[in-house]
Amino acid sequence: MGSGIGAAALRTARAFLWTALVLLALAALWEGYKALGDATGGRIPGTGLDLPIAADDQAMPHIADIIGALTEPARRGTDTSLAVYLFNEATITFREALLGLAIGSAAGLLLAVGLRESRFASRGVMPWLIASQTVPLVAVAPMVVIWGGKAGMPSWVAVTVLSAYLAFFPVTVSVLRGLNSPQPVHRELMHALAAGRVRTLLLLRFPAALPFLFAGLRLAATASVVGAIVGELSAGTGGGIGRAILTSSYYYSSAPENLYAAVLVAAVTGIVLVQVLRVGESLSLRNRSTAG
Amino acid sequence: MTAPATTTPRGTAAMTATDDAPAISLTDVHKVFPASGGQSVAALERIGLDVRPGAFVSLLGPSGCGKSTLLRIIADLTAPTTGTVTVGGRSAREARLARDYGLVFQQAGLLDWRTVRRNVELPLQVGGVSRAERKAQAETMLDLVRLGDVADRFPWQLSGGMQQRVAIARALACRPQLLLMDEPLGALDEMTREYLQGELLRIWRDTGTTVVFVTHSVSEAVFLSTDIVIMSPRPGRITRRIEVGLPQPRTVEDRTSPAYFETVTEVRKALHAVMAEEPA
Repeated sequence: MGSGIGAAALRTARAFLWTALVLLALAALWEGYKALGDATGGRIPGTGLDLPIAADDQAMPHIADIIGALTEPARRGTDTSLAVYLFNEATITFREALLGLAIGSAAGLLLAVGLRESRFASRGVMPWLIASQTVPLVAVAPMVVIWGGKAGMPSWVAVTVLSAYLAFFPVTVSVLRGLNSPQPVHRELMHALAAGRVRTLLLLRFPAALPFLFAGLRLAATASVVGAIVGELSAGTGGGIGRAILTSSYYYSSAPENLYAAVLVAAVTGIVLVQVLRVGESLSLRNRSTAG
Repeated sequence: MTAPATTTPRGTAAMTATDDAPAISLTDVHKVFPASGGQSVAALERIGLDVRPGAFVSLLGPSGCGKSTLLRIIADLTAPTTGTVTVGGRSAREARLARDYGLVFQQAGLLDWRTVRRNVELPLQVGGVSRAERKAQAETMLDLVRLGDVADRFPWQLSGGMQQRVAIARALACRPQLLLMDEPLGALDEMTREYLQGELLRIWRDTGTTVVFVTHSVSEAVFLSTDIVIMSPRPGRITRRIEVGLPQPRTVEDRTSPAYFETVTEVRKALHAVMAEEPA
């Protein structure tokens, strides 16, 4: 047992090390590109062509400046640093996304079961589900916000709905595949045992679909954060990292590093959500041969 | 010793010295599969077969002779096109719904996420047996196949032969009167295969279960069976039924006895006769 935990800790440490190395490499790339721009005056070396992206501090602030901005006060006249402010806003978004993910996943799961068990549903409903995901979220978001507002709901309700709206689809698609994944030998076994639909679902199809569910949840988690952020942008009121991104983009010309800092925190929010799911996944699938 | 089963489906040599109702009875079973272009393929034709309780019957023949289809019809996994099938005095469907038989495929088909014990419990769980009873019954069956010590492991931690023994324990979990096996040892290496043949005979003796066993191995059929049903392909028919006169209980020594080799030769000749009619 002790060696198992030790091995797991070693794996985690190694994963962190790799993440840190990749981040360092990305930072080096960013700063290297800027240095190149500075040295050549924004040209590709040996040619008279402009670099594809301007390398000046306006378009690409120094990483040190982005991190530095996090320690500065968020607004003039306040003591709260940008980091604390963004963290607070991210907490709001995280909560909305988590709730959206939960609702969306539950709906996605139910839909997958319906699609699997009913031929009518799979023929009649699936095209609508696909259509729902091709409609741009930025078009749907204001509608949902207005409906929610007219119904007298607080703005986070609309945001959560939008988050769920993006989250359900990957869960439906993945779980549907998972429910259909048992091999003929397993299906025939259940048939030979006179197991009905419900028992086959509970004893065979659901457990078989579990790894697929987690794959879908991982996609849904990132989608739910995007849904929440776009929802916040449309809501016009309320908080969240989406509002922070909107605010800092207004002041981009005077403080470009603030927008980068906000985007950074938004990305971290998504990563945290996915990592939380990872823990759940490795706990649920620890006894599978294909775990991990 | 032999009788063409198609012409006299009942009361052949296999029904010796018992007036019990047959464990399995098939009368004039036909199976036609639809094929491409509106064609159809006769998979089984005029199958008549009685299996007496406690018998170990092997269905032997080249691939494409319909032996697996025949087993699947007995198991009610496939419906016959025409003909009647009774299993333990009821229709094949009723027998399936009553979980009257246990089924073992070439693939063990264990559920990856369940421990060995919980895999054996599966038929009992489907049948609504209480948790404690399930556990006790599963442990009895695991002891029967001599796997009591790996009850808490997962299937993927076991060798192929051990997995197949778990599958046998699972098939026996509901204490069925009948065990249907479709090439259960076909995917195993020779050593494991011979060991499990011996184990299978012991389990058969200990439980008194009737066994129908699909195989394409002559030596396996002769060593295991009380009766061998030889089938020919296209369309699948029963061409001969051979009673194996080797003494019971059989041991490893029987594999080298003259009587064993005589029977193997007899079965081989019968099979070659089948193949001569149908050049490959």
